[in-house]
Amino acid sequence: MKRTIKMMSLLVFLCFLVSLLVSVQPALAKDKIVVGMSRPLSGPLAVIGDSAFKPVYETWVAEVNAEGGIYVKEYGKKLPIELIIYDDKSDVGTMTRLTEKLIVEDKVDFLWPACGTAFIFAQAPIANKYEYVLVTAEGGATQIKDMLPSLPYIFVTLSFSDWYQLPVFADIMSKAGAKTAYVTYIADLHGIEYSGVAGIEFPKKGIEIVGTKSIPPDMKDWTPIIKDAKASNADIFCCFAYPDQVMPATGTSMGLGYNPKAWIGGPGVNFGFYKAAFGPAVEGILGFTMFSPKQSKAAKELADKLYKGKPIEVQDPWGHPCYWAGLEMWKQAIEKAGTLDQKKIRDILAKNKFKTVMGKTWFENGLLAKESHTGEIGQWQKGVYEVVGPEKDATAKLVYPKPAWPAPKK
Amino acid sequence: MIVTFLDIVIAGLLLGGLYALIAMGLSLQYGVARVLNISHGEFIMLGALTTWTLFQLHINPLVSIAICGPIIFVLGFLLHRTMFKRLLNTSESADIFVSNSMLASFGLMFIIQNLALMGWGPEIRGYTYLAVPVDLAGAVFSKNRLVTLGFAIAIGLAFYIFLARTRLGKAIRAAAQDPSTAGLMGVNINFMLALCFGFGAAMAAIAGVLISMCYPVHAVMGLEYALIAIIVVVLGGLGSIPGSFIGGFVLGLVGSIVTYFEPGLALAAYYAIFILLMLVRPQGIMGR
Repeated sequence: MKRTIKMMSLLVFLCFLVSLLVSVQPALAKDKIVVGMSRPLSGPLAVIGDSAFKPVYETWVAEVNAEGGIYVKEYGKKLPIELIIYDDKSDVGTMTRLTEKLIVEDKVDFLWPACGTAFIFAQAPIANKYEYVLVTAEGGATQIKDMLPSLPYIFVTLSFSDWYQLPVFADIMSKAGAKTAYVTYIADLHGIEYSGVAGIEFPKKGIEIVGTKSIPPDMKDWTPIIKDAKASNADIFCCFAYPDQVMPATGTSMGLGYNPKAWIGGPGVNFGFYKAAFGPAVEGILGFTMFSPKQSKAAKELADKLYKGKPIEVQDPWGHPCYWAGLEMWKQAIEKAGTLDQKKIRDILAKNKFKTVMGKTWFENGLLAKESHTGEIGQWQKGVYEVVGPEKDATAKLVYPKPAWPAPKK
Repeated sequence: MIVTFLDIVIAGLLLGGLYALIAMGLSLQYGVARVLNISHGEFIMLGALTTWTLFQLHINPLVSIAICGPIIFVLGFLLHRTMFKRLLNTSESADIFVSNSMLASFGLMFIIQNLALMGWGPEIRGYTYLAVPVDLAGAVFSKNRLVTLGFAIAIGLAFYIFLARTRLGKAIRAAAQDPSTAGLMGVNINFMLALCFGFGAAMAAIAGVLISMCYPVHAVMGLEYALIAIIVVVLGGLGSIPGSFIGGFVLGLVGSIVTYFEPGLALAAYYAIFILLMLVRPQGIMGR
């Protein structure tokens, strides 16, 4: 009898031990951080997605995983990152469904961003609802700034119109002596916002807007617009649109011999493929930017990692440093939290300063603080995209007026 | 005032020349080969990106016309001889073939587009060629656009003369009018259809070469041009080659006039013209 009781006790103890092991097993078995993304692998936005955030996260994840991953104290070890990437076919509706699938069905540990401003608008409330930290990549807008107080889990990395590009642009133009501007903008959220901010910031610095034209995304012939701009005799020509419009606007300006004192366009001018397309004709053209490899050792190292040995087409000095810094901050926040708990990581991201490729970097009300920015306005000078504004970050002096278009090759 | 008028008209002709060339190609494929080729824009893209590649090798874009045209012609010819010929043989009637071939061309569009994305990548490409101003009676235009207009008109007219004056052209017209009777008269119908599909693809490719001289190009650029081509073909009269040629210029002029006043309404104007024509003259400008 005694023996039976002993045996039963042992069995109960063993069962208890096994159940204990089973209950703690998920924690012990955690061997990777699963990150989910809905990205435009096909469709019209693939062009942007493939050249903007993709090269950054691919290089960054490879680098982090080569070092064993991210150290998480809770598990007492480094956990490598595993990516789950779905194709949203450049469709917002599909992206929202995939984002929910990643969170609810796949139960990913973290969410990384979709591509484009409109997509951030749609994805941010979902991430926030499920209390998933979302550090964004491509996209940013003044309007999202107003939404951020109600979206505590969202952190926007990219700079944009009034954060703090156009105030800086108006400042350097005014100092250079510009008095008038002609503004063309694409008839969507991006263009309307930039044109609106220009309407506020330019007059503040004594620059009068003498002409404004909205253009449709499928604009084919720029001739009438460029002729109108030329007739206005404005000092500055602004093209607040995408590469698909900025590039023909440049070509038409050249073809019609329209050479204002300042020519700014973007996004478009900042990409390496812009330089590849127009060669020496890009001299003096202005665009938006965030960094230059000349600014620091860290900036040079990042440029080497992303661009060395690759064609110039892949370069994007506006977006790439922001996305890279965003990933660095995310990693440091996880390490500091010592856990994968979203709330703790969010609090650290919101309240702390981090050391990244851009120097001391932090978020201010969900936006990458403008003091963290290492550039706003860029200019092509002798084949290099230099930072020319603000002055504290400048790697070269602004060339104003813009030099003449080069003579065609015979 | 006169300069403004010249500005608008010449700008319209410059755009119209490209539209005419693109639409003539599609008209040939639809009018004779009965393939409403949704992938038409992909042949434009192939021509444009190939020209970009050749330009990197220091080959003049005008020389690219002589390279891309024949290569894409062979591609189009072979596609018809394989895919569309089989579809034609297995379709129960001409109407069923039209819908089947349209669906097949949809698939073809995705295949060509994705192959291009694999080959050229997603980046936007461009190059600078003859981007210098030319003064035409006070109206200033870019030289590269005048060159594209010249080539578009020359190629369009040459092809029209080929259709109107040569024996092969006559056979093509016969095949378009009544394939069964033309077949009984000794015209090799399947060969003619493939020939027309090939010519259509070649015209698209040449338009792509010309487009790449003035506009940025990328792997997913095709569809928007294909849509314009469809509008022009309907505008000109389904299957009418001269109709498409004229329709292209009409659409270019309309676009230019509207853009002068309000750029955002250009595409809306295209569709307004389209709707108006459907109501007033459903058979198109030159349709029978």
